[in-house]
Amino acid sequence: MAIIELNNVCFKYGKKTPYEINALDNVSLTIEENVITGLIGHTGSGKSTLVQMLNGLLKPDSGSVIVDGQRLWEKPKKIGNIRFKVGMVMQYPEYQLFAETVREDIAYGPKNMGLSPEEIEKRVARSVEFCGLDQSILDKSPFDLSGGQKRRVALAGVMAMEPKILILDEPAAGLDPKGRREILGGIKKFKEESGTSVIVVSHSMEDMAMYCDRVIVMSHSHVIANGSCEEIFSNRELLNNAGLDVPEITNIVNSLKNIGTQLPDNIYTVDGAFNFLLQLYKQGKGGTQ
Amino acid sequence: MNFDVGLGQYYEAKSPIHTLDPRVKLFFVIVFMVATFVAKNVVAFIPLLVFILLCVIMSRVPARVILKGLKSLTFIILFTAALNVFFSKGETLLFNPIEIIPGFWTLTAYREGLINAGILAGRIIILLVGTTLFFSYTTTPIELTDGIETALAPLKKIKVPVHEFAMMMTIALRFIPTLTEETSKIMNAQKSRGADYSSGGLIKRAKALVPIVIPLFVSSFRRADELATAMECRGYRGGVGRTRMKVLKMKAWDYVFMLLSLCLLAGVILLNIYLNGVVYTL
Repeated sequence: MAIIELNNVCFKYGKKTPYEINALDNVSLTIEENVITGLIGHTGSGKSTLVQMLNGLLKPDSGSVIVDGQRLWEKPKKIGNIRFKVGMVMQYPEYQLFAETVREDIAYGPKNMGLSPEEIEKRVARSVEFCGLDQSILDKSPFDLSGGQKRRVALAGVMAMEPKILILDEPAAGLDPKGRREILGGIKKFKEESGTSVIVVSHSMEDMAMYCDRVIVMSHSHVIANGSCEEIFSNRELLNNAGLDVPEITNIVNSLKNIGTQLPDNIYTVDGAFNFLLQLYKQGKGGTQ
Repeated sequence: MNFDVGLGQYYEAKSPIHTLDPRVKLFFVIVFMVATFVAKNVVAFIPLLVFILLCVIMSRVPARVILKGLKSLTFIILFTAALNVFFSKGETLLFNPIEIIPGFWTLTAYREGLINAGILAGRIIILLVGTTLFFSYTTTPIELTDGIETALAPLKKIKVPVHEFAMMMTIALRFIPTLTEETSKIMNAQKSRGADYSSGGLIKRAKALVPIVIPLFVSSFRRADELATAMECRGYRGGVGRTRMKVLKMKAWDYVFMLLSLCLLAGVILLNIYLNGVVYTL
């Protein structure tokens, strides 16, 4: 079932000035419930603008945004309420930390929701765990933490609001491979245990292939594809036209194919390639080929 | 992203005003200010108005942009004008006094007050258009600080750190858009966590600013540190012996323009003296 629906959404920055920029041009799409959807596209393709439409940070010039059956901007004064349903983690969220302790910072969102202190305490503890942090961190100052820890605290601050839809703009940007795996793995775990629908904006094809169920491709203010991982990542032409690359491993698989190895089209993760090659190797040893 | 074109943003174009030496612009604005304050009667304003209009046309900055910049100050201009109409004394009453609060405040307006208000409003508008046209619409902040630095260079002799001040100004100006962008990013992030800046009393609203101001300060300090390191890495050690990429050089047009602005001032003074007897006539 579709949890988010966009119909003919247009948006321009700096309207009626010499700096007018078209950010979204007649975009229509649906996003499925309870899956991780990846949003990819080159810099300036409109990804960030699109996600800011979904929680009412930006208002479309025309067209409609329907989230969970509710049409946004019907009552502009109540737009704040949608933000409790659609949690958004911006790029480099560690720069939004402000409180004296990690506990207070994570509690900021739930407090704005008007929850009881007991409920807030419970949610803070739970979200800290999802993000792979130790409970002892709660009484520290957020400014004393390492970069990766700050990022996770900021993530926990949004997760503690327990939104129905969680949007993450480049959640793993600037982290080392271990940090990337931990953050993205934590998000996947969070989705599986809470049933949240997740939207991840990223540049990294590898991460997308590893963690996403569905992928949306944007290019020059348009959505040019919306499909399953297999459909998108096996379509090299589409990705190249969007100024993107297929995952590194797909290139390797393709080179193998070119020298005559028999491989299927849908291998786009390192694990997948590993398993398949292992199988092939065993077959070879068994003497079938 | 913030693309607001408001009062005082550089407007990219190729024009004789854009190419003027920033020092000449500085000189002109000072002369122009003096002339505007010297002008004592309506007729003396005419050359000022004509001159500034010609400059606007030459600069290729659309009138729309300039009017939009003025719009934000409409209230202040109208308020000052209103004060002048209703609170100055004169000889000819415009209408019979109206008692607003009996025995306490009577509303009166004199012809002289009205003329005064008109001149004052005109003065403010002319000054605003003149300074913004020369200082912001047609000059980049960098050019302007460069101009100020070279114009004030003689002060170095009495140990005024002119270069350091200019560098501070350049850096401050350079980071205004960066900070604006940063602020809107942080505001969006906190809004996403349910922050509400538009409801509640004064204290509640002030408190709602804490989650914006603190991250902004933290990142500003971080940025200042990084900038200082980057500048040192590139060998910056203050103004002594520093050469420039763009050396300011006066061209013929710059001298012509300086001459023109002096003529303008002389014209205004002459009109003032010549029309001394008929100061307040419309």
